[in-house]
Amino acid sequence: MLQNSWLIPLFPLLSFVLLLIFRKSKGEGTAWIGVLLTGLSLILSLGVWIAVWQGDGIKVEGTWFEIGERAITIGYEVNPLNALMLVIVSLVSFLVHLYSKGYMHGDERFPVFFAYLGLFSFAMLGLVLSPNLLQLYMFWELVGLGSFLLIGFYYFKSEAKAAAKKAFVMTRIGDVGLFIGMVLLFWQVGSFEYDEIFASVRNGDISSGMLTLTALCIFVGAIGKSGQLPLHTWLPDAMEGPTPVSALIHAATMVAAGVYLVAAMYPLFQASETALTVVAVVGGVTAIFAASIGLMQKDIKRVLAYSTVSQLGYMMLALGASGYVAGIFHLTTHAFFKALLFLAAGSVIHAVHTQNIDEMGGLWKKLRLTGPLFLIGALAISGVPLLSGFFSKDEILASTYADGRYGLFWLAVVAAFMTAFYMFRLFFLVFTGKPRGDQSGVHESPSVMTLPMIVLGVLAIVAGYLNTAWFGTFLTDFLAGGPVELAHGDHHGPSWIPIVATAASFLGIGLAYLIYKKGTLSRDWITRSLPGLSNVIYNKWYVDEGYDATFVKGTKGLSKLGVLFDKYIVDGLVAAVVSGVQGLSKVGSRIQNGQVQTYGTFAIFGIVILLLIVALTGGYFT
Amino acid sequence: MSSVPLAAYLTLALILFCIGLFGALTKRNAVIVLISIELMLNAVNINLVAFAKYSINPGLTGQIFSLFTITVAAAEAAVGLAILIALYRNRQTVNVDEMDTMKR
Amino acid sequence: MNTWLLSILILSPLLGVLVLLFTPSQDEKSIKWIGILGTLFPLGTALVTLSAFNKSGEGLQLAEKFQWVSYEVFQSNGDVSYPIFYEVGVNGLSMVLILLTTVVSVLAAIASFSIKKDWKSYFILFFLLEMGMIGVFAAQNLFLFFIFFEITLIPMFFLIGRWGYLEKEKAAYSFLIYNGVGSAILLIAFVAMFMKTGTMNFEQLAYTFSLPQSELNDMHITKNFKMGMLIALLLAFAVKLPVAPLHSWMVRVHVQAPPPIVMLHSGILLKIGAYGLIVFGAGLFPDQFESLAFIIGLFGVINLLYGAFLALTQRDMKRVLAYSSVSHMGIVLIGLAALNEAGMTGAVFQVVSHGLISALLFFLVGVLYERAGSSLLKDFGGVAKRMPIFAGVLLAGGLASLGLPGMSGFISEFMAFLGLFETMPVLAAVGTLGLILTAVYVLRAVLAITFGTEKELTNAHDLSSTERIPAFILLAAILFIGLYPAWLSDMLRPTLDSILLGLGG
Repeated sequence: MLQNSWLIPLFPLLSFVLLLIFRKSKGEGTAWIGVLLTGLSLILSLGVWIAVWQGDGIKVEGTWFEIGERAITIGYEVNPLNALMLVIVSLVSFLVHLYSKGYMHGDERFPVFFAYLGLFSFAMLGLVLSPNLLQLYMFWELVGLGSFLLIGFYYFKSEAKAAAKKAFVMTRIGDVGLFIGMVLLFWQVGSFEYDEIFASVRNGDISSGMLTLTALCIFVGAIGKSGQLPLHTWLPDAMEGPTPVSALIHAATMVAAGVYLVAAMYPLFQASETALTVVAVVGGVTAIFAASIGLMQKDIKRVLAYSTVSQLGYMMLALGASGYVAGIFHLTTHAFFKALLFLAAGSVIHAVHTQNIDEMGGLWKKLRLTGPLFLIGALAISGVPLLSGFFSKDEILASTYADGRYGLFWLAVVAAFMTAFYMFRLFFLVFTGKPRGDQSGVHESPSVMTLPMIVLGVLAIVAGYLNTAWFGTFLTDFLAGGPVELAHGDHHGPSWIPIVATAASFLGIGLAYLIYKKGTLSRDWITRSLPGLSNVIYNKWYVDEGYDATFVKGTKGLSKLGVLFDKYIVDGLVAAVVSGVQGLSKVGSRIQNGQVQTYGTFAIFGIVILLLIVALTGGYFT
Repeated sequence: MSSVPLAAYLTLALILFCIGLFGALTKRNAVIVLISIELMLNAVNINLVAFAKYSINPGLTGQIFSLFTITVAAAEAAVGLAILIALYRNRQTVNVDEMDTMKR
Repeated sequence: MNTWLLSILILSPLLGVLVLLFTPSQDEKSIKWIGILGTLFPLGTALVTLSAFNKSGEGLQLAEKFQWVSYEVFQSNGDVSYPIFYEVGVNGLSMVLILLTTVVSVLAAIASFSIKKDWKSYFILFFLLEMGMIGVFAAQNLFLFFIFFEITLIPMFFLIGRWGYLEKEKAAYSFLIYNGVGSAILLIAFVAMFMKTGTMNFEQLAYTFSLPQSELNDMHITKNFKMGMLIALLLAFAVKLPVAPLHSWMVRVHVQAPPPIVMLHSGILLKIGAYGLIVFGAGLFPDQFESLAFIIGLFGVINLLYGAFLALTQRDMKRVLAYSSVSHMGIVLIGLAALNEAGMTGAVFQVVSHGLISALLFFLVGVLYERAGSSLLKDFGGVAKRMPIFAGVLLAGGLASLGLPGMSGFISEFMAFLGLFETMPVLAAVGTLGLILTAVYVLRAVLAITFGTEKELTNAHDLSSTERIPAFILLAAILFIGLYPAWLSDMLRPTLDSILLGLGG
């Protein structure tokens, strides 16, 4: 099974190629190519996972090309961490393929959509299987390409065009950080291999300053991909893509790649206390920052997008606070419940043809399957006990506390409260109350769409039992087989932490209930009491505007300056040389006046000057 | 006889040549330009004769050569004047400033 | 057979000229076919040469050498005769570039459908240009190099000036004047080197200049002389490459010349500058090159950023691509300045990769111009709807240009920066800013054409089957190098190793 794991990414690639060839076919049976091939990937991934569970692992590499004496290798590697990722990615990818069959029904570029999904799945699975940083970087960029193509799938919409461009450029900024970190590490270690990098780190071959620098550079890459502060602005805009894409790429897999990167390079981060602190702080601040924006958004997908940013911040916080397992655990559970939420949101959008929550309401009765499934997702993400989100969030809080980062701990608790609040604000506004828009043609989605949601709903409930203090720490044991030495075996700090977390989430749900269901509290009492702050939050802290005013304007200004420089200085210099030559030739032609006497005069002066030179320098014949 | 040194001849020739050169380059009247050219030629003649007399093994080469020069100069003056007259008939002027067809 | 192979290769484009001379100039159809077939013959010969070429072999291969001209110089201690040889040969580097030349020439000939007049003289000049380009890469002494170098200038001048767009004359003169100045500097440097050393052969020159200073003193070759020669050569090839601020002619040519000629120009002629920098700069004066490395790297980074910044606000797709060429040539300088295997390989990869990518992109711009009579970004939008294949290939070309992994652009950027990070990390870090800017301007231009609301085009049909051939071949080549770089790097290694040996790296 393990020897064939290189096939896992190739199935979706085959799907990409096949679907591009058949892109003109009219029927929607082409979707089954994608579904079938990702299904094969899923089966193989599960097989690989089981093999790894039994303690196996594999690493195969061959030379790709050589630089001098150094061979650059490519290959594949399976260890516990990426076996888990393989299952998550191929599972979500498979379900999203299936769901898209229904969601994209009637789109004129139906096969192209599935082709792009295939390309993305290929890149993501390849990224996970990479045994070295260079290969990871290559797939990392390809993943970005897949995301770019899918965000810009509705290419004729100018918002989609802008969002796709923004996503590519913003993540590219992060990628350059990763690039620098990777290359610096190469010259320190002499290889891109994870194993050799970790060996050098263990042996202390790299100075501590360099360790911190490279770890931070690599973290910049993770920031870009995972939409962490300050490179988060592309992720909400990426919601311009079709909703299944948001579920697959911008919730479950690609954005989690940043977290995966930090996890995969964890020994490097562990070696630098500064780097870990930066990771934790960026994660914690992002978690609460994005959650605060999520409180006031009106677009159902944007609320979920900010929620994703916030949850990714949680994972980063966990990793920064030495909660390696907690971070991965939350990545896993989040993949399921967030994909579920997005797919359910897609089902809602599919039904009502709008994304504005002000135009929804009262959908619970009409969408008898989507409603409960959305509720499961919302309960899971809010951290209600016994659902998956509760366990993983609890572990993050515990490890943050155990690591002694109390400030960040309380920040995370507040973020958890906010999460519960905005998720249930969303739930109540969408599914309860009176219909606020035209809902005449609303009906439940077809079974190809509900089936994936049901699977994810089940997983969103049970995935938490992978790693609990009560039933067994399967995930911890599983990941312990990997290259990372788990320093703190058990993070279960004081027993009051789960109670605090649960209280925070119930408080959030209760508040949302009071405001949006019962109407006990007026909806705009915060807006009225704190108009300035709520305005700032509503406008997403003006980050986009800030970037626009500084970086975008600055770059454009520099570019304009360059154009002027090119026009007036470079071309001006050329023009000056030209006019100089022309001036000289004018002088020359004035001497050429047709008067023999003038010619004679110049000839005489010429001879005199030559003779003088000869006389003064002592002559040629000395 | 030999009290007059070679330098004196050469100086005379130099002065004569410079006067001729100055005339040839500055005068506007073509006739005067021609006369100035004659002056320069004569300066050369003086040099030729002087070197012939004062060289290490004196001979008559210089004198003979200057006779040739005088002949050629006479011929040249005749041709030059003829051209000048032809020009004068065409252009009604002997002013060299107006003879700038080379430029056009 | 092999003894003559290289000469046959150099002269092979002349066969097309010969056939064309006997073709009536009204017969456009046959001229077109002769034009395409005439470039296939050099390609075939180049492939035969490649098969005869030992990829892992060291040094010069398939070399030919004949005495051509001899003249004697009278000196106090007897007459000395100076023979001038006709000597050609290939090493890994020139083999790769010759192959690139013949491939791009075929595709440019196919792309010549946009030429509307004087087919006959167009293709005759085209073949002469191709001969010059092959000759430049095959020449093994200064004399021959210079002759072929000049041969490329003259057909190019007429091709721009006669078949170009509105301001073609200005562009042609601009081209001629800049390159003429470059050639003059080159000639002076060549003559000076010949006078001092008495040889024109590259290898002998390299050997002579590598002698210890005590022996060089006998030949009156001082350190300052070497430095001066290197600076002169750098200057001459900087015009060709081009290095900012000597780039304005190149932008003009890219905007005004007909698309197939720009394919050749951007694809190959610019690379002569890079080739010259490697062979003459690093090859002949390694020590001096090393001491100038920082300045070269600095200029590389300036080129990269300057071109990128300027490409950012251009309104004409051609100008965007022209400045992107400036920017990408910066990467060549960056790779060279690194003075190590990675950087050097990266520079050559960038030469090949940019040759393919810019040929592809200019071909596509030519198609666009054919359809709409414009290349201004504002005239386009939503092209992906009516011309999906075109849009796909354009996007792929753009992505290759911004260095997407799996395509050739990535390998070259990666290796050039990998090299520079070893020797000058700070400069390299500044340079990586260019990678972001490249993404910004490429996407801005490409998306402005393909995405967004559709604008009416007079004649919006997708790539025709003849147009697909060059597009798909170039794309395939870009992908091939991106996925299997070992093919190229193995061929280059012996040559680059010997240059690096001189650099002491």
